[in-house]
Amino acid sequence: MTMPSSVAKVMEGPSGHKPQHLSPARIGLYAFLVIAALFFLLPLYVMIVTSLKSMPEIRQGNIFAFPQVWTGEAWVQAWSTACTGLECGGISVGFWNSVKILIPSMIMSIFISSLTGYALSFWRVKGANVLFAILLLGAFIPYQVFIYPLVLIYRSVGVYSTLPCIIITHTVFGLPVLTLLFRNYYSSLPMELFKAARVDGAGLWQIFFRLMIPMSIPILVVAGILQVTGIWNDFLFGVVFAGRENFPMTVQLNNIVNSTQGEKLYNVNMAATILTALVPLIVYFGSGRWFVRGITAGAVKG
Amino acid sequence: MRGLLMALVGATALIALGVTGAQAEGKRAEVLHWWTSGGEAAAVRELANTFNAAGGQWVDTAIAGSGSTARPIGINRIIGGNPPTAMQFNTGTQMNDLAQQGLLRPLDDLAKEQDWKSVLTPAFYNAIQFQGHIYGAPINDHGQNWLFYSKPVFAKAGVTEEPKTWDEMFAALDKIKAAGLIPVAVGGQPWQLQLMFNAILLGEGGKELYAKVWKDLDTDAVKSDKFKHVAEVFAKLRNYQDPGSPNRDWNVATGMLIDGKAGIQFMGDWAKGEFIHANMVADKDFGCILGPGESNFMMGGDIFVFPVLKDKAATDAQTLLATVIMSKEGQLAFNSKKGSVPVRLDVDNSKLDACAQKGLTALKDQSRQILAPDVLTPQDIVQTEQDLVAQYWTTPSMTADQFAEQFAKVIEQAK
Amino acid sequence: MSTPQTAAGTIAGTVAGTAATRKKRHLSAYVALFPAFIIVLLAYVVTVVWNIWISFTDSKVLPVNIFVGTKQYERLFTTARWLLSLQNVVVFGILFIAGCLILGFLLAVALDQKVRFENTFRTIFLYPFAMSFIVTGLVWQWIMNPTLGLQRVADSIGFTWFRFDWIVQSDLALYVIVLAGIWQSSGLVMAIMLAGLRGVDRELWKATRIDGIPTWRVYLHIVIPILRPTIITASVLLAIAVVRVYELVLATTGGGPGISTEVPGKFIMDYLFGRGNIGLATSASTVMFITVVILVTPWLYYEYFRDKPRGN
Repeated sequence: MTMPSSVAKVMEGPSGHKPQHLSPARIGLYAFLVIAALFFLLPLYVMIVTSLKSMPEIRQGNIFAFPQVWTGEAWVQAWSTACTGLECGGISVGFWNSVKILIPSMIMSIFISSLTGYALSFWRVKGANVLFAILLLGAFIPYQVFIYPLVLIYRSVGVYSTLPCIIITHTVFGLPVLTLLFRNYYSSLPMELFKAARVDGAGLWQIFFRLMIPMSIPILVVAGILQVTGIWNDFLFGVVFAGRENFPMTVQLNNIVNSTQGEKLYNVNMAATILTALVPLIVYFGSGRWFVRGITAGAVKG
Repeated sequence: MRGLLMALVGATALIALGVTGAQAEGKRAEVLHWWTSGGEAAAVRELANTFNAAGGQWVDTAIAGSGSTARPIGINRIIGGNPPTAMQFNTGTQMNDLAQQGLLRPLDDLAKEQDWKSVLTPAFYNAIQFQGHIYGAPINDHGQNWLFYSKPVFAKAGVTEEPKTWDEMFAALDKIKAAGLIPVAVGGQPWQLQLMFNAILLGEGGKELYAKVWKDLDTDAVKSDKFKHVAEVFAKLRNYQDPGSPNRDWNVATGMLIDGKAGIQFMGDWAKGEFIHANMVADKDFGCILGPGESNFMMGGDIFVFPVLKDKAATDAQTLLATVIMSKEGQLAFNSKKGSVPVRLDVDNSKLDACAQKGLTALKDQSRQILAPDVLTPQDIVQTEQDLVAQYWTTPSMTADQFAEQFAKVIEQAK
Repeated sequence: MSTPQTAAGTIAGTVAGTAATRKKRHLSAYVALFPAFIIVLLAYVVTVVWNIWISFTDSKVLPVNIFVGTKQYERLFTTARWLLSLQNVVVFGILFIAGCLILGFLLAVALDQKVRFENTFRTIFLYPFAMSFIVTGLVWQWIMNPTLGLQRVADSIGFTWFRFDWIVQSDLALYVIVLAGIWQSSGLVMAIMLAGLRGVDRELWKATRIDGIPTWRVYLHIVIPILRPTIITASVLLAIAVVRVYELVLATTGGGPGISTEVPGKFIMDYLFGRGNIGLATSASTVMFITVVILVTPWLYYEYFRDKPRGN
């Protein structure tokens, strides 16, 4: 079994000009990249220096200056002592809850989306097109308008405010974009493979588990990254649907950042935000190359 | 090293919390609220301690982001059949729809038994009712129309007297401007602009006009010359702000007074928390005015409502919690940390600061009290007007006539 | 883009079994699609229908079933903020999508030139996508505030003529949101475009070099047309972000100065939750939904459902 040609091609690396020695064009190229990088890094720089300052220093107002006195207190406070109402455990309190929500939600949404994308690409049944069309339109509806009706539906089934409730919710909202990605990916796979498997007498499920899943690694990585980012950063669904015992980390982040009265501790806010974003950031750093490969294969073909 | 110490303190706090949680096997009440900042949380802790001491077990659910984040979450939980035992609301019309649909527990018996009517200001006693039934237990009273000023800035600019009228105030602002300082610290977020507008409406327009506008939703009053005059005073303040004002947080604006960069700020009494943080003393380092113009007190505040629950134990916990909230001890414990004043008139307030004393003097005189717009009028109208006030502020080409015209139109449409 | 119809059509031709096996095959396909069917029916169809119904009722804080006809719509279209929101989202959408596509494409082309530290650059361009805008928006707000950010710094080192105060000007603040949006999303576009560029046949580059065609012309006239599906995918993802834009505005300008940068997503959210007028909020979301359907359906049909010969 070979990789689809398009995927194999990506593995070869860049396709542009071969590097020449430092020509003016090349200097210009690097200048562009470095300036762009500075533009992208500027807010992160401000966040990091702010998180390392004390509040009196922040009030003086030079947001770009290095801290006069470096202090890690804000980080400690953000992680372990900042208060959410009466509970003062920082954002670490919700960390495991977020993990508990993330993993099953990711598995469930990716499984259902890949299955749907696969069935839509290879098995023509009545109603499938309508299903796909509604899914794509659904992607454009603002999330907020789903909340009231979903609460009523969950209530009638008796799962409201539980872990399964939030997992189902993330699956529901991941479905449109992920299905689109998987469907495009599977459509790019060579038909011959599928035909051969059919001739060998394999059924829908066998082909899916034995043939498709192993070939889906690049797009699974993309789906995984999108879901890690989306689910990990979600506040609204977590707080409405997960129930008090399962509040994700973003609830603490919100409480630290969005308090309306009383002093705003900007240094703690910045530290808490960076800490909360660490999980998706690590995933990005670790899988940058795979991300591009996967997107090549999934989003681009179709 | 200090970091480690902080972590240790945090850990012991957690352990302490766990222990108290395990010990208290009292009446369990899950309370949903949006008090999450330092001072607010300290106030909640006082209330929780009072409740626990009375045989309850406080389970805290805090969600920050003003009521507009936490309230829908609580409402969704009530609709979803998993309500908290008690929930914070702002005093006023916010609870009406829930009460109408029979989702809130009426507290009439309790109120009669404990004689809430005689201990509450009449305005507040009315504000916790809907269609003749009591649904809320009020906890605090926030003065919303304060004008804070920096005494050093006034001194530097040569303003010796506290301005009593808007003419005097503008003269003072001109002096501050001439001294090279920022006259007004404006936080250009719509809610702050509206707070400022309402303060001027109540001071310069007077209590009568204010009541016609916000209580009676009288469009003739809105189109009156006096209202337009208020609008002009408000608009004139545009010339006294600095270019950094749009979308500035209110506490940053307060910080400008603390740092001696700006002269005055319109804000509710929660701003005192910032002054106190900076070790400033009321009436010594900073001043507070109800006015200029008529010196009235605009009252807003927070209440707790109690969703209808089937479980007898939970209902008992609700009764206990409502009793604690309305007790003298509960009121005093909470408000001493919150910066607001108790809603009970018979509480010993002598320990509160100089500004709170000014407020209390106003509160003793019923003719000087009036409720805040969000207590008197549905959210929908108040907030649509808020958009308009913000638009007026940032659109110098809009005249006071046009502003009044549109203000009236919003009321007509929403009615 | 190829289509499922042609794929399935090929199968039907080559592996046509008996009626019984076909039936069995259909059954298992329905079983596979069952979860998606249920989700679409309950979460999407029911929700949209519910929304449309509520938009014709007098619902305030809670949904109620009191029919009031088109009252909410009449109010909606006389509300200055809603009309301004519509105008803003169009301007924002065009500039944001164009900006992300252009910057994302340029970054991708630059990274595709065998540069050193490609992985580092790529991560730098992508990281904003991983961060919650609640705080990164605040930082943008600081940077662009004339009394705190870039202008102040320029001022303090003597460039007193330097002005960067868009965020405090009613007619320019929207561009600040566009800028912050591009900062957040162009990394994703870069990744998608880079992927597309890597898919371009290497032989093509060799051929153009032999023919001596200038590089920029190759990109403009050959590569971009090849990347059409890539650009479409990126545009779809960006368009979804435009329709839903909320947090970005809330965090950078809060809709201000005044109401000058309000958008429909924020209007819906405010009236649904903070302002307790579900009727008005659902009428706004219904208008948005119908607009999207009208704009998206022809494209959807063209891209995904029209029968096209296989082989593109």
